[in-house]
Amino acid sequence: MRHTCSAPGDRDAPISAQPPGREGEILTLDGLSVRYGSGPSSLRALDKVSLSLPRGGALGVVGESGSGKSTLAMTLMGLLAGSARVDGGRAVFEGEDLYALSPAGWAGMRGRRIGLVFQDPFTALNPAKTIAHQLTEPLVLHRGLSETAARAEARRLLDEVGISDPDAMLSAYPHALSGGMKQRALIAAALAGDPDLLILDEPTTALDVTIEAQILDLLEALRAERQLSMIFISHNLGVIARVVDEVCVLYAGQVVETAPKAEIFAAPRHPYTKGLLASMPRLGAPRARLETIPGRLPDLTNPPEGCRFAARCPFAEDRCAAPQPMVSVGPGRESRCWKAVALGATPWTSAETAAPARARTVAADAPPALRADGVSKRFRRAGGVRVRIDRSGAIPVPRIGHSTFNAVDAVSLTVKAGETVGLVGESGCGKSTLARCLIRLIEPDGGAIALNGRDILKGRAADRRTIARTAQFVFQNPDSSLNPRKTVRQILARPLALLGEERPGTMDQRVERLLDMVRLSRAYMDRYPHEMSGGEKQRIGIARVLAAEPKFVICDEAVSALDVSVQASILNLLADLRDELGLAYLFISHDLSVVRHIADRVAVMYRGGIVEVGPASALGTPGHHPYTEALLSAVPSLDSRGAERMRLAGTVSAPGDGITGCRFADRCPRKIGPVCDTQAPPWRTGPEGVRFECHHTADALAG
Amino acid sequence: MVDATTATPAATAAPPARRRRPWPATLVWGTAGIAAVLAFALVGAVWTPHPYDGMNISARFAAPSATYWLGTDEFGRDVLSRVMAGAHLSLFMGAFATFISLAVGVPLGLIAGYFRGLREEVIMRAVDVMISIPPIMLGLLILAVTTPDIWKSAGAVGLIYVPIIVRLTRGVTLELGAQEFIEAARARGERDWYILFVEILPNAWPPIIVEAALRVTFAILLGAALSFLGLGVQPPASDWGLMIAEGRPFLSQAPWIAIAPGVALVVTVILINLFGDGLRERLDPRLRQKGA
Repeated sequence: MRHTCSAPGDRDAPISAQPPGREGEILTLDGLSVRYGSGPSSLRALDKVSLSLPRGGALGVVGESGSGKSTLAMTLMGLLAGSARVDGGRAVFEGEDLYALSPAGWAGMRGRRIGLVFQDPFTALNPAKTIAHQLTEPLVLHRGLSETAARAEARRLLDEVGISDPDAMLSAYPHALSGGMKQRALIAAALAGDPDLLILDEPTTALDVTIEAQILDLLEALRAERQLSMIFISHNLGVIARVVDEVCVLYAGQVVETAPKAEIFAAPRHPYTKGLLASMPRLGAPRARLETIPGRLPDLTNPPEGCRFAARCPFAEDRCAAPQPMVSVGPGRESRCWKAVALGATPWTSAETAAPARARTVAADAPPALRADGVSKRFRRAGGVRVRIDRSGAIPVPRIGHSTFNAVDAVSLTVKAGETVGLVGESGCGKSTLARCLIRLIEPDGGAIALNGRDILKGRAADRRTIARTAQFVFQNPDSSLNPRKTVRQILARPLALLGEERPGTMDQRVERLLDMVRLSRAYMDRYPHEMSGGEKQRIGIARVLAAEPKFVICDEAVSALDVSVQASILNLLADLRDELGLAYLFISHDLSVVRHIADRVAVMYRGGIVEVGPASALGTPGHHPYTEALLSAVPSLDSRGAERMRLAGTVSAPGDGITGCRFADRCPRKIGPVCDTQAPPWRTGPEGVRFECHHTADALAG
Repeated sequence: MVDATTATPAATAAPPARRRRPWPATLVWGTAGIAAVLAFALVGAVWTPHPYDGMNISARFAAPSATYWLGTDEFGRDVLSRVMAGAHLSLFMGAFATFISLAVGVPLGLIAGYFRGLREEVIMRAVDVMISIPPIMLGLLILAVTTPDIWKSAGAVGLIYVPIIVRLTRGVTLELGAQEFIEAARARGERDWYILFVEILPNAWPPIIVEAALRVTFAILLGAALSFLGLGVQPPASDWGLMIAEGRPFLSQAPWIAIAPGVALVVTVILINLFGDGLRERLDPRLRQKGA
């Protein structure tokens, strides 16, 4: 069986007149190129991409932003928009040249024989139509079913994608469904035309890790049952590793490496793949520092003639300036690097790990940077206005009541000076609300919060700016956390003037010092945010935080929006700053691998409350709260573990009123019985000092 | 996913920083054109070829000629002189009314969009009430109780347009208020006024400027309607709007009476829009870089 990204389209040789579709291959791309715009500013998003997919095979396409992976998905569906056009090469699907198709031919192909699942389930469904409507439409259109037959088929499809109550689902509107349900509905819609090939463009990126695991399970099952061929596009190597059997790595519009899944993760051959894998934090193999890939993507309007990765590659030599063909590096493996064979298993090296990591110890008696006690926040439920008749007095009086819920439910948390505490949980668990309550960006309803030993809810320390001098916040989205109308100088000078200590030097010098701290050159002073990359913007966000010289920094998903290699460099920076300045972090993330990497201790949050606290190193050993266990088991990982996975059904339950028993009882795979619903579980202590709230003993859970 | 570039930046040479771009062409032409219109209006205010109110009964409805370049109206008054003399009144009407609507509407919109809650309810319900009254009625209501005066009618027109500006500003503010840089400003203890006017407002300008350029046009026309009802400019003085209204009955007989001020109005409107567009481009660092 041969299914590799092959070399023939590499050189500018004329492409043969015959469609190169080969026996047993469902899809063959031969030198496919896509260009955006025209003239000197045009950009070649895909450059002579050649790959092939055997019938029933699954190919993973991996790449960071700007690699061209989404362009590839759109190109294969004939959905290129605007000024983009296919610029050369061919795509042959089941013997048919896709780009020779008429619009009518495309209509019969798209949705019918090639199905597409988009990234964002939250916007891919029409909010004004029922699921039934959106599912039956392709059935009527593509398969010519009657309305009744289409509805029955839609029901069957929903059943197939694991919807427990298809009838309720059919009559529902999208807003009533959770993200995971929507994605299932979208997969059902993609299957409606009974396609032979399914293209999945980041299908799980917008979902929580437990939901992601469910969807990946579903895709695996569908593949086996339907003999579907799949192209799975993702930036997440771990996710790719779950579903596909062949991986193709894209860099700057070119295929740089292709190999069977097991081999590419165990022994990457192209330097870019090595760098990418080395910059991933891993649950199983913690390291003091992550590797990074320095430099930036080449300018695709005028890409280098030779290797596109050479400028960022530690192994680069003069010969890399010549155009690089794909070379065979083993059975079924190719790499676009002449040194690939010679390099062999040489690991990626970068300056990052040259500096030895400092040993981290947090003194047991270190004073707390943050001490929160019983912090609570209630929100009004949207549309939850209720009128009830108050009969407590002599005359019944109607009273308007708002239905409320506990977003944060009596949370107590301590972060010691110099310590990093990770806070994990699925979306909706209340972690962001808690973080904002801690510095009073949201006013908590109850509890006590002390920063550096001073109560910030009352007294003189309650002033907004006094809080800001002690505790600061790094935001998630570098695109929206900087004012687009301000230069870096303005963005950094303001907090210096407002909160900074008196320091020698002019304002410009002080701004420069901040830039130095986040390893940015002075050339950035007069940049606007749109003139910087995401990683650079996030560095400015961190510099802004440092201006106040805080002792405690809350990072709310601070690296979640970044590419893997950028994420690694930001994580290293945060770790360095912590060690240099003695900062304490509350590091919020949905990504357990990231938290495991940076945190000393980890707190796990569910439905507004913390269910487990323990040292980060304990995440690798058994004996956890069932929820933590489920989270750990859901993390897509490169290290294929044989252990069976633990799956959670459903989604995070709505934060509720009056939880009488265990918060996790309704989803817990280890539920004992009624006791879980009615009695608050006790705190248990497990190995390595992990503390969690469960009716099971630690020994029972570890066993 | 944001991008694939990593920086170990201090070491890496940063790509060349942006150069200061010249003004966008639209702004250059808009500014020059508006300057010319203002000069025209200033000259008209002090000197005209003929007295703007001088009647020549023998030359009623005279077609454009060497004496009367743009012809005469039904009283034999020189149309060019009247267009020149009316220019400053029309421009004043447009500019002052727009200024009032922005000065009142933008802060209210910012407050409604940023603070939400009770303040938003009060402002937006008041705006709803205002919008439910037809503009002319509202103008009449404001002016009926006082003596006619161009300041008052311009002010009235400005107030009539306040609801539109409030709604627009509130919409933009709602969107901007959800951005993380606003939360960052609150986290460092900025005062509310700073967040409203230094963080939000500069980002809210683009749609407001576009709307304001349109408002100038509508204000000139609405001002004319009020003048026509005897509530604004008093005869024999006349602004462009009033001239168009007065010339309309004679459109088939002597089209120049309405066409001359009409053309003056259209040219002014185009120039103002050009200016507004250029200003928007100039103020936006993202467009500024791409521009030229």
